[in-house]
Amino acid sequence: MPTVRLRAATEYPPAAQKLFELSSSWFNHDFAEPPAMSRVMAWDMGFGGPHGRAMKRAMAPGEFTRAEKEMVAAAVSGINACEY
Amino acid sequence: MTGDAVWYEAAQVVGITNALNVAADTLGVLGAVDEAHAPAEARTLFAEIRDFYQGVDGPPGFRFIAHDPAYAADVWAATRHAFADNRLARRFKEALAFAVSVTSRSASGAAWHLSQMRRLGVSSHGVMEIVGVTQMFSSYTKIADTLQLEPDMGDIAPVDPSPAPGGR
Repeated sequence: MPTVRLRAATEYPPAAQKLFELSSSWFNHDFAEPPAMSRVMAWDMGFGGPHGRAMKRAMAPGEFTRAEKEMVAAAVSGINACEY
Repeated sequence: MTGDAVWYEAAQVVGITNALNVAADTLGVLGAVDEAHAPAEARTLFAEIRDFYQGVDGPPGFRFIAHDPAYAADVWAATRHAFADNRLARRFKEALAFAVSVTSRSASGAAWHLSQMRRLGVSSHGVMEIVGVTQMFSSYTKIADTLQLEPDMGDIAPVDPSPAPGGR
């Protein structure tokens, strides 16, 4: 059970709606509601904005593909014992 | 990265990397095996490791676990299998092991796998790509854990219906 009440996408302001669209496009998946992490990061765009940009920069294909980076991310999450 | 086989391969790299880092970071108290005075079995093992790493001594953990050469040889066979080119390239496996080492705060593991990434042609920019992913997901995971978020993206990847290797 999350510590906070996760708001529905409709409860967020227009700037966050744009972020949810980007999130859907990033995952190439049509979510019924944006992923919980997207909604968490959209709560405070002063943090979520630059954090999201750093994430997007880090995950963009370069010497390693996006798929390889997703695998690295899964391993890092596993080491951090994060179920999410 | 579709299909389960690449994930099994990645899991092998993650597991054996952590095992070797645990030894390298904590077993200094045992003292490293002195190759010049080691039994033949240990010297053969060190030579095999150097061969795989093109003349370099290999993951530091082996110097400590080689006090039991038969055990170390089995660990080495698993390590060599995990890090060899297969569906995933050795270059990427070293990057994955570097990320694992950084995340688990293994300074020796990070240094070792960084040296291997560079040997296999990863540039400083490529290293920073892996640092970025590692750092950002070290942030994401702790935010998710603090807020006790429940997984909600597990079903966006397709299930692999293929059998285990050799099965049907």
